[in-house]
Amino acid sequence: MRALDWVIIVVYLVYVLVDGVRRAKGTREIEGYFLANRSLPWWAVGLSVMATQLSAITLIGTTGQGATDGLRFVQFYFGLPLAMVILGATLVPFLHGARVFTAYEYLERRFDARTRSLTSFLFLVARGMSCGTIIAAPAVVFSAIFGWGLLWSVALMGVPTVIYTMIGGVQAVTWVDVKQMGLIVFAVIAVIVTLFVQLPVAPDHALALAGATGRLRAFDFSLDLTNDFTFWSGLIGGTFLMLSYFGTDQSQVQRYITAKSVDQARSSLLMSAYWKIPLQALILLMGVLVFVFFVFQRPPLLFNPAQEQAVRATEPAAYGMLDERYRTALQARATAAGAVAAARDRGDPEASAASLAAFRAREADVGALRTEALGLARRVTGTSAQDVNYVMPYFVLHFLPVGLIGIFVAAVLAAAMSSIAAELNSLATVTVIDFYRRWVRPEAPDAHYLLVSKAATGFWGLFACVVATFAATLGSLIVVVNRFGSFFYGSILGVFLLAMIPRARATGAFFGLIAGMAAVGVVNFGAPSVSWLWHNVIGAVTVVAVGMVLSGRASAEVGTRNAEQN
Amino acid sequence: MSDTPQPDHDSRLFRRTLLRVMAMQLATLLLLWLLQIRYTR
Repeated sequence: MRALDWVIIVVYLVYVLVDGVRRAKGTREIEGYFLANRSLPWWAVGLSVMATQLSAITLIGTTGQGATDGLRFVQFYFGLPLAMVILGATLVPFLHGARVFTAYEYLERRFDARTRSLTSFLFLVARGMSCGTIIAAPAVVFSAIFGWGLLWSVALMGVPTVIYTMIGGVQAVTWVDVKQMGLIVFAVIAVIVTLFVQLPVAPDHALALAGATGRLRAFDFSLDLTNDFTFWSGLIGGTFLMLSYFGTDQSQVQRYITAKSVDQARSSLLMSAYWKIPLQALILLMGVLVFVFFVFQRPPLLFNPAQEQAVRATEPAAYGMLDERYRTALQARATAAGAVAAARDRGDPEASAASLAAFRAREADVGALRTEALGLARRVTGTSAQDVNYVMPYFVLHFLPVGLIGIFVAAVLAAAMSSIAAELNSLATVTVIDFYRRWVRPEAPDAHYLLVSKAATGFWGLFACVVATFAATLGSLIVVVNRFGSFFYGSILGVFLLAMIPRARATGAFFGLIAGMAAVGVVNFGAPSVSWLWHNVIGAVTVVAVGMVLSGRASAEVGTRNAEQN
Repeated sequence: MSDTPQPDHDSRLFRRTLLRVMAMQLATLLLLWLLQIRYTR
């Protein structure tokens, strides 16, 4: 990184802080602090919804996943548009029309206080922890590539975000999100253009090389329940996950209940769906192009610099031999790739097919050596190398032009900060509205609640930073965050589905919720083995089924008692 | 004059957004499908 890159990053951080803090003007009641007095335009809310969901994990982990695994992760989002349409017709009018601060507040009106408190408690646990992993993802990578202590990396993202969220409330979160989203999209497009310019082969040949290794296979129609990413798990499991996430997670609900009307709230949700699949496909494609780039430019054996140093220091001979074999395999793969381009240029279909087969074989050799190196790293360090999360940072720091490096790093910071800010704001809202105002001090002046809200934002910021320092050694980060959410999300969605069924009763909702989490727990910790995307379906269906059975019994008991009294 | 948008305007906006969203998703899925069948061997 050169001075210009650092200047860009510092300017970005100062701008975000100043812009966020100045939004505090006019925020003197909690309605303004948490809901912006329900006055925000739909497009700003839509961009904020998108920015909240797009975290640094997306820019670092998803691109790495694209480089190593291809486009198939995009199937994860296939349920999103469907979920948005369903939510627009069901939960959005309910929640916006109920004039609530939190989604869980509505559950007390429909069922009882214990169902509200249990769901909001689950939200606080799940989101508090996931907020930590959202900070940890880029912090770990920054620490490894810049050599900083983990605490400094966590502080770099955490401190400015906590300050502007604490002072400016939801106004700051939303309007800063809008600018951050612009920066992220600009950075992604700029990097893709740069990649195409820097590749030594035509874009058509580059895509042929990626396709030959299966990295352009975006659709997998197999019915394998243990496979994480298939068309069906994305469409069915993904719809349930997105319904849960956008319909019942306060960090998302709070974005669209700030809109001016129900239709504007629906439009804002749809707007985020509008760009989600194309943007995710673009981000994955960026990763795929980075793979093709490294076919012609020598990549390291291990992308994680800290792991590479550890292996070099502990096993110099084994690593040296492996690196030598890797170098030879890379050379053979680059030659095979050149042959593919030449055969395609000649327009010779037979030579083209033969050269693609040869390239695939050379790519398999390189892949086998990488697997061997990752195994060696795991033996030496005792932890997973998490190499997938270092592919993009390595490319950015070593091959992007000066200035664009700063812009991309600022975009990663923006992605992290936009998600953290929304989560802190929603965690504070639930803490104050669903617990403090509900159970501790129901009657207090707005100024008091505002003060407590700011203190709660600060507390959750600190909590997330502490969790981040411990959450640093998990697997592929994007999967970890979503997997963690899947443990609770489906069950919480089940409760909201029950809320829309007139026959459902409070006892059914409360014990159905517990049964749903138990079912997910059984599936998660053993038999039968089912991929985590299906956990949402299992949780939601169990809650609704158990909830309806118990509600039926409760209604029957009430009926019997009434008959006896008469 | 009121700054509050008319309900009709909001529901027209919603219908228009819905159509655009669905068109965009279909176009993206089609593009991904074309990429897959053209380049994946």
